[in-house]
Amino acid sequence: MTTNSASTPTIRQRIRALFSRIWEPYRSVPLLGWLIAALVAVGLEQLVGLPLARGLGLTKIPALFGAVVILSKPALTPSALLFTTLIYILPIGIVARFTAPLTNRIAAKLAEYPLVVTALVHLVLLYAVLHIWCDITDYRLLVARLAMISIILTLSLNVVNGYMGEFSCSHPGFMSIGAYVASAFTIVLFVSENRFGEALLPPALGPYMFPLALMLGGLISAFGALLVAIPSFRTRGDYLAIISLAFMFIVKSFFENMEVVGGARGISNQPDYATLPIVFLWTILSIWIINNFVRSTMGKALNAVRDGELAANAMTVDTRKTKMTAFLFAAFWAGVAGGLFAHVLRYINPDSFGIRKLAEVLAMVYFGGLNSVTGSVVGAVGLSLISEALRPLDIFKWIIIPIMLILIMIYRPTGLIAFTEFNVEKIFLPKGRAPEGAEHASA
Amino acid sequence: MEFFFQQLINALQLGSFYALIAIGYSMVYGVLLLFNFAHGDVFMVGAYIGFFVSSALLGLNIFGALALPLSVTLSLVLVLTLIISMALNSIVGMLVERIGYRPLRDAPRASAAITGLMIGIILETGNLAILGPQRRSFPELIQSATINIAGVSFTNKKILIVFISILLTLALHQFVRHTKWGMAMRAMAYDYVVVPLMGISTNKIALMTFALGSALAAAAGILYGVAYPVLDPNMGILFGWKAFVAAILGGRGSILGAGLAGFLLGFIEIFVATIFPSTMRNLIAFGIILIILTFRPHGFFGEPFSAQLRL
Amino acid sequence: MPLLEVHDMTHFFGGLRAVHDYNLSIEPGQIRGLIGPNGAGKTTIFNLITGIYHPTEGEILLNGEEITRLEPNQIADRGLGRTFQNLRLWRYLSVLDHVKMARYSKLTYGLTGAFFGTSKRVREEKATDKLAMDLLELVGIPHLADQIVTNLPYGAQRRVELARALATEPKVLFLDEPTAGMNPEELIQMMAIIRQVHSEIGMAIYLIEHRMKVVMDLCEIIQTLNFGEVIAEGTPEEIRNDPGVIEAYLGKEVVI
Repeated sequence: MTTNSASTPTIRQRIRALFSRIWEPYRSVPLLGWLIAALVAVGLEQLVGLPLARGLGLTKIPALFGAVVILSKPALTPSALLFTTLIYILPIGIVARFTAPLTNRIAAKLAEYPLVVTALVHLVLLYAVLHIWCDITDYRLLVARLAMISIILTLSLNVVNGYMGEFSCSHPGFMSIGAYVASAFTIVLFVSENRFGEALLPPALGPYMFPLALMLGGLISAFGALLVAIPSFRTRGDYLAIISLAFMFIVKSFFENMEVVGGARGISNQPDYATLPIVFLWTILSIWIINNFVRSTMGKALNAVRDGELAANAMTVDTRKTKMTAFLFAAFWAGVAGGLFAHVLRYINPDSFGIRKLAEVLAMVYFGGLNSVTGSVVGAVGLSLISEALRPLDIFKWIIIPIMLILIMIYRPTGLIAFTEFNVEKIFLPKGRAPEGAEHASA
Repeated sequence: MEFFFQQLINALQLGSFYALIAIGYSMVYGVLLLFNFAHGDVFMVGAYIGFFVSSALLGLNIFGALALPLSVTLSLVLVLTLIISMALNSIVGMLVERIGYRPLRDAPRASAAITGLMIGIILETGNLAILGPQRRSFPELIQSATINIAGVSFTNKKILIVFISILLTLALHQFVRHTKWGMAMRAMAYDYVVVPLMGISTNKIALMTFALGSALAAAAGILYGVAYPVLDPNMGILFGWKAFVAAILGGRGSILGAGLAGFLLGFIEIFVATIFPSTMRNLIAFGIILIILTFRPHGFFGEPFSAQLRL
Repeated sequence: MPLLEVHDMTHFFGGLRAVHDYNLSIEPGQIRGLIGPNGAGKTTIFNLITGIYHPTEGEILLNGEEITRLEPNQIADRGLGRTFQNLRLWRYLSVLDHVKMARYSKLTYGLTGAFFGTSKRVREEKATDKLAMDLLELVGIPHLADQIVTNLPYGAQRRVELARALATEPKVLFLDEPTAGMNPEELIQMMAIIRQVHSEIGMAIYLIEHRMKVVMDLCEIIQTLNFGEVIAEGTPEEIRNDPGVIEAYLGKEVVI
């Protein structure tokens, strides 16, 4: 295959060769190494970020790796790039590379402990990175929390649209049910304001009851999902797409007419319970549970139903129950995400859960990749960040993002990272060549 | 009684828009088994094209030289606007097919639905970006007059709108029933795989389906402009999605079915609004649709459709 | 007592009578064949017994228990496994997952296990892995366990289907043209596998075949179907010499 490339390498091949040469030492960096490197980078930003930014002529630390600065003030492009290079790219590159032997050894050590311990160590590190990164501005804090909520939404929609291969449009509806239920719960119980009167319980209790509010929201939206699932899964066909779409409009219109929760004006004053650690915990929980589900034989039954319902049925799979369970499960998580969403923004109205939201979530699912947990995380975070980064372009953002998605659909119709399995055991393992002995062989 | 007939004609008028848009959805779904989520915005584009064409025609004042009475001039402008805009909008429809759907002919159908959705967003935002958020008022193409039939008075506009849309629906129905092209379309709806084997180009049929649907959407847009002379970039969302659901209610690929379902939706909305607060219009309309679909999943005129929005 | 009994089963598709007064009785461990020209209704009979269609009239008993109106998954769970004529494999699942999937109704860890990865689930999944690997071993493709089925050659896909059907722990195994589309070499291997499976597990087998050699070699009793009706039933020897069968079938489509 590479016969002609040997004689005269094209520019593209040269670039590729250069990249792979640069990348080569990083192949042996374990996840732990990357996390520690990222921690160093955000720590550095915390310590010297502001003086450095001022020195480079920026008014403040660039919020999203300089993308916003570049688009809004193109003249500052070199400064923004330099800042990102000095604070992120170089430190991460250097630390990840030179600590690799150490981090590999630690990772190998960790692998001897139960998975829970390893996972916890990584999660703590990840949270630390996130926390320090968000500490710089409130804007980052908001973006990070919304991106994590998007992960929950995308992942849960992927269960239906990717793993099960149906086409559901009602996610904004489920999200709004969760959002309204959770909001009503916390406002009635823990907030003294005009609409619902005095708080019924001491507000100090609130944060502890918040999980209950979210779960209640999730359960009620799962119950709403039953209304969609019963008619949709009775017969085969495109019904789910249509019925779920109608359901979404019904829910939106329902809340618009519910004066008790503010009607079309919406509801505000949600207490500030959805802090970074809380959203982080729920996101991790949802990833963990959804990943568990789709990797079990019971979850893979969804794939069997998708790829051949008749055969699945003949192989003892209760296809109807499988579809119902998955759909309700997805609706539950959409409800939880909605509850978090309401408490992050602390203001919701029915318009937040319309066609635009649907387009956004669908875009994240199909951008990231069907039937893939990794894909959904990448899709949700990627699109959230792109969308924020393109904010200076104002309205043209909504032309660029759709064009990007159309191109992805044309060249990778199932999304960027589709049909993969997210193997938790493997991602924490040390990387690179086998320790000792083998080094001589490869050198 | 008079109130009832007033509402009836209002329902027919509203139903006309839904019907014309729903037919476009239904044809694409029937022939290509695709959800054309961009269609609502194609309707919006059609309305704007109609706005510009009619404004241009009025501005040029080419009929002034003929010294025709104003009403005749306006009618001529209306007819020309309809013809030109339908032709232009069918090009828009074909572009949508060419860019968003043809490259995905062999891809999962759901991916094509996503590209449709994205094209819709592009059309909408494009409109906002080019023309700005302000609303446009559609030129008055029919001189208002009130007609009195048996004690019930109607405006001539409403009658004309209903008449034109029924005419277009029937014309399309005849086209699909009786012409060679129409038969090819129906053949494709029946068996997607076999049609290319019979020497009919799938691409041509697809283009034609989009073109016809978009032409009707343009007609709907112009009639909408005549009825409520205010255009805004979001009108595609408001009307399109409801018409989409109506299309399904009519039955897959059935033109008359989609038309009738469109009118039914108009009736539901208008009469709901007379009994309940008008804000509950969508709630009840969609609720009724949900109930109908639950008990009659194939819609009114559709055959059982076994296809699925599979991966 | 027979393992599987079908009494006077009749089925109409709209106005068309596809199956008429069909009777069947399979003893444990027996290998039976069903032959007949194309369109005779063989696959329809399979689909009726396995619950994909419900017969217009008649009753079906498995182990003395009525299964006529049950859903396919319930029937499969009660011990009636099957393969399909046109392979119905799942496009994106691995070979191992195919076999494991057929254990669906036997898994007891439930949603709790699926969501939270309980130790019970880990245990059961491990046991299922082992069972699935054993079955893949039995049909001779353990090395393909991690492959996606669409990458496999046709003969291997047939074996996956067989292993998958076996994983439902069938008391009666329905094989719908297990050698369709195979080359002579694959055919011989498939027959050997069917024999081996039968001797190791000992379930009853009911198979539809077009190739006379396969049916005659494998089956103890053969039914011949024409236009939805049984026109002959007997040992291979009897069927071979039945003038009605020869007229209806053998005369036209002998494939040796």
